[in-house]
Amino acid sequence: MSRLRRDPRAEREAMRIAGGARPRFSREASLPVSARPRRDPRAEIEALLVPGGTRPRLDRLSRGGVRPVRDEATSPSESTVQTRIVTEPAFLVAVVPDAPGGRLTPLDRQLFGAAHLLAAGGGAVLALAEPGHDDLAGVGADRVGPLAAVADYDPEARAAAVAQALESLNIRHALFAETAEGGDLARRVAARLGEPLFAGAESLTPKLVTRPARGRRVEQRRAPPRLVSLVADSVAPYGGASCEARAVELPAPVPTTGAILSAEIILADPATVPLGEAEFVVSAGNGVSDIPSFLDLARALRATPGASRMLCDAGLMPRAAQVGASGTVLGATCYLALGIAGAPQHLQGITGCEHVVAVNTDLHAAMVERAGLAIIADAHAVMPALIAALEDEP
Amino acid sequence: MKIVVLFSAGRHPASGAPCPVPVELQALRLARDLAGADEVIGLHAGPVDGAPLDALGHGLGRLIHLRMAQGDDPLPALAQVLEELAPDLILAGRIGQGGEDGGLLPYALARRLGRPILADAASLGAGDDGTLTVEQALPRGARRRVVLRLPALLTVHPAAAPALPFTFAAARRGTVERRDIAPAPAAASEMEERAYRPRPKLIARAAPGASAAERLKAATQAASSGGRLLVDPAPEEAAREILAHLRGIGVLRRRG
Amino acid sequence: MSVGAGLAFVILGLSVIAAALAARRARLWRAGQPAKIDWVAGLLAVPKRYLVDVHHVVGRDPSAARMHALAAGGLLGGSGLALLAGLTGSRLVWAATALLFALALAGGLLVGGRRYPRKPARLSGGKFQLLPFALVAYGAGALLVALDAALGHALAPLGWIGLVLAAPGGGWLAFQIGRGPMRHAFAGALHLAAHPRPARFDGVSETALVPLDLGAPRLGVATPADFAWNRLLGFDACIQCGRCETACPAFAAGQPLNPKRLIQDLATAMQPGASNKAYTGSPYPNARPVAGIGGPDLPIVGAGAMIHPDTLWSCTTCRACVEECPMMIEHVDAIMDLRRFQTQELGALPEKAGRPLAELRYADEPGGRALAARTDFAAGLDLPRLREGGHADILLWLGEGAYDLRHGRTLRALVALLKRAGVDFAVLGEEERDCGDLARRLGDEDGFQRLARANVATLARRSFGRILTADPHALHALRNEYRAFGGDYEVIHHSALLDELVAAGRLPVGALAEARVTYHDPCYLGRYNGEIDAPRRLLDRLGVARVEMERSGRRSMCCGGGGGAPVSDIEGDARIPDLRMGQAKATGAGIVAVACPQCSAMLEGVTGERPAVHDLAELVLMAVEAAPVAEAAR
Repeated sequence: MSRLRRDPRAEREAMRIAGGARPRFSREASLPVSARPRRDPRAEIEALLVPGGTRPRLDRLSRGGVRPVRDEATSPSESTVQTRIVTEPAFLVAVVPDAPGGRLTPLDRQLFGAAHLLAAGGGAVLALAEPGHDDLAGVGADRVGPLAAVADYDPEARAAAVAQALESLNIRHALFAETAEGGDLARRVAARLGEPLFAGAESLTPKLVTRPARGRRVEQRRAPPRLVSLVADSVAPYGGASCEARAVELPAPVPTTGAILSAEIILADPATVPLGEAEFVVSAGNGVSDIPSFLDLARALRATPGASRMLCDAGLMPRAAQVGASGTVLGATCYLALGIAGAPQHLQGITGCEHVVAVNTDLHAAMVERAGLAIIADAHAVMPALIAALEDEP
Repeated sequence: MKIVVLFSAGRHPASGAPCPVPVELQALRLARDLAGADEVIGLHAGPVDGAPLDALGHGLGRLIHLRMAQGDDPLPALAQVLEELAPDLILAGRIGQGGEDGGLLPYALARRLGRPILADAASLGAGDDGTLTVEQALPRGARRRVVLRLPALLTVHPAAAPALPFTFAAARRGTVERRDIAPAPAAASEMEERAYRPRPKLIARAAPGASAAERLKAATQAASSGGRLLVDPAPEEAAREILAHLRGIGVLRRRG
Repeated sequence: MSVGAGLAFVILGLSVIAAALAARRARLWRAGQPAKIDWVAGLLAVPKRYLVDVHHVVGRDPSAARMHALAAGGLLGGSGLALLAGLTGSRLVWAATALLFALALAGGLLVGGRRYPRKPARLSGGKFQLLPFALVAYGAGALLVALDAALGHALAPLGWIGLVLAAPGGGWLAFQIGRGPMRHAFAGALHLAAHPRPARFDGVSETALVPLDLGAPRLGVATPADFAWNRLLGFDACIQCGRCETACPAFAAGQPLNPKRLIQDLATAMQPGASNKAYTGSPYPNARPVAGIGGPDLPIVGAGAMIHPDTLWSCTTCRACVEECPMMIEHVDAIMDLRRFQTQELGALPEKAGRPLAELRYADEPGGRALAARTDFAAGLDLPRLREGGHADILLWLGEGAYDLRHGRTLRALVALLKRAGVDFAVLGEEERDCGDLARRLGDEDGFQRLARANVATLARRSFGRILTADPHALHALRNEYRAFGGDYEVIHHSALLDELVAAGRLPVGALAEARVTYHDPCYLGRYNGEIDAPRRLLDRLGVARVEMERSGRRSMCCGGGGGAPVSDIEGDARIPDLRMGQAKATGAGIVAVACPQCSAMLEGVTGERPAVHDLAELVLMAVEAAPVAEAAR
């Protein structure tokens, strides 16, 4: 839809035949091609729209650096390029995604968004990742530097490979994920290179990165240094055209001798993981009397079972499963409350839960008010339906 | 086994008062459980010893305080003393609370001492002939059991056993050894500081794979104040809604 | 030799034996620490303390009072007179002796009637079950001897039979002085003279804990020898009547605490090579296994000692046991001393109690929240601050409850009432630190003293008339416990101030919609500070029908929120607030009036159909808002 922007004055100038008192124009002259694409105000407004809320809200300031990334050079156009191609990058912005098991996490995608912010003005985004990833081009990698695969758990070998890549290529910035794995890697690389790491950045623009310090009482800010690690949900993922993901050659890794003799992963069993550490807790209250089917549901959802005080007092669930001020205070992402009215002490136990889903017969229960999704129904009817729905899926 | 636990000058996030960093106290407990209280030495480099001194109350018997000027680089002094002490194991918190809070120092120290470093230890067990079994805390309660050759440096994760409570008598008994160290001015920083202000977070999108109508609903209703309410739906519909919601949040793990 | 003289000889002999056994027992107390005791005043006060204070407690159960007066009075009076009679041979004295022994016999029969055919659960068995037989034998035998002597040996053979009966009966009693049921007689009398808190007999609320000397070589009590000797004496005064266990909320909830057993374990532990096997009363509910061995210099607390730590941490420090104890034993002081050692020397706290104490240490607030957030409940209300050097008539101490959403409503009501009544008040704002009650009850004396000193210093820089608080725990700390740190304040609970204001007509009140209200006494207001009338007066002024629960006033039952019990969280069969709410429900009241943030939090936590929970301030505000418009518009 969007063509390149026309410049009528420049076109006229190009058609003008030199000489003569009166201006004369030649229709045959080749028209100059403007470098600037045509603007589409409607699409721009749409991009600024903040999702959610009944009234449309536009985020023009994007103070937090949460800004949908649109690359000016590759604005979506049917007639022009489908793929963003940077032939001669002025510099590189490296992204080192976590990508556990070769799958990019949401934070990894956000890293690419951040990298495109930093690469504006002639840079290209380089993904430093082990081979065998899902679509790196789609998430915004102009270049891909294949890191040598590290067979076993050897973070130091990986750090050595990344550090080597950073030294050998013209890399202006390198972005890491501030997670357990990515944060560890970033610090190892920083220590290897003897460079400072801007750890745990909470906002990022080409001119400014910020991070909390001194027990989150102070915000440190500066122009982005070379090594930055980014926390989740601070920059939007790359939303522009697909990139070419051209492979670049990396120097061969120097073998290191690690001190790690063996490593094995022990997966957390949702049934036994401590309630406070569990990510997803499904909890039963006074409205649930069929404990076996509740436990079946917890297994089917792969959630950690919890309970209200009433059930624990009644001896139907172990005391360790009790959620609330006098039981366990949760750190779960999601809390599914079945038949729990929500006594104040119980709600205190789930203040840290980001999402709450409630199933309760009482429309006026406090838990229903707290929930992001509330179902007014008997938990005993919903539980078997949930189990059945889970079994039906592939 | 000789263990040195590194202590930083922590501050309480709410009160701003000097306060030991909780995860360093957990490191102290891991060290005590592994080697016994007498084998553990605390080490701190900084201008004052306010917060690390409290570690004595939490079960540290002996603290070495390297006195340095405000703004000096603690790395050379720490490295020097650690080389002299030559402990089998060095423990540090995974991240400080009250300083830079970047968690970089243990890595720089390990590099300087030429020791391997392993992050996020949750529990420790002594192995045979100079090895150590470390359970590393991974996200979502998973663990990685790593067997490591000593000497090494470990950072400790908050999932480790809780710190010992402050005991007044222990604080009275503990000893502090103060040493003055040669000044080592830190490199000038371009960092500018101002009062902390929470940054806006990305707003969650509708569940992927949901229908257009659902996406519209998610965009208009779910993010608005109260939340979505379904009164007396059919159980199947309720189940579908719940699963779609859970998937939108991303907590539902796929089978297999 | 006459039979009368024989009895006198027997009594003399038994007295010597009893005295020797008592002296042997008393030597055990010498293991304890020295104590400063005003012996002259103490001994002179014994009759008053015994006849007034002890009788006041015993008399709550009139049949027990009768029984004890007859048995003890008859036994001691009869035996004393018999010695005199044996010396003089006067038939008149013998007649009086016979009368007294008849009373003793009646007492002995009453003791038997209480224990047979079925022994109440709170009473101990074992040797205690033999007690009525010995009393009856001695009383009846001596009665025969005295009658015989009074009648000039008219009953000649019966007198001898009586002596044969009285000698073993009396002998058994005398031999029980050391370790048996009769120990309470001499230890109790001495305990009244050498009581560690003599002021409690002078009508003073003597409930403040004694500050711990933080420079002492050992903090708190680890072994029986660490107790002051008169505290050891106090443990020996226990008669195992079990009134404490019926009053104890933790016992009722099935937590492993039984105050009677605790005192018995402490009394046993002071003997070398002690074992807890001889105890015959009801056990700790859901008792945790312990080795049950002890000695004067062996640790008291621990799985390998006499008392399991869970027992210690089950206590809500509500003082119900102390209130009920006829022997004036200070159970809570003993528990606090033991806790202090656990916390200050060993750091052996219940796991969840460590965090609030750490936050108190580093943030002056057990939740680790910013002190400035304490006034967040008053968002939108104009809350005057008392700055350094400033003055206010009333300093409103907000306390820990201000952070709690539920209690915040109460405080908003209180602030609204103060404004309506035109009271000149102010708060400290972020200068107010926690009062330290939680730290102190959890045995963290160092933490308490630090907070107390800081708060006293803050208050010293301001001028105010009275301190007003809605938190009885803060009230107790500020009023009674800060005195040792140089803080002497007039502290008033909001129930008393509101009562004053309503009485003075400064708060015109209307009638409440809910007519039946029952009032739950906070332990730290009622038992600790004796304030049980003002809240009731206030409720009566609101025109509600006030109904009383089964336990109220000074004998009220705890909500389970004191003494750090919510953070210690020792598992039992039931929860204390559920039990208390059950009592409230039984009154048929629609509202439970509370006067303490802990009580409102604990009782609000009770689920199911139950009366509503409202603080007094909320009720007064409701009544003020219900007042006729003309008056309210004034």
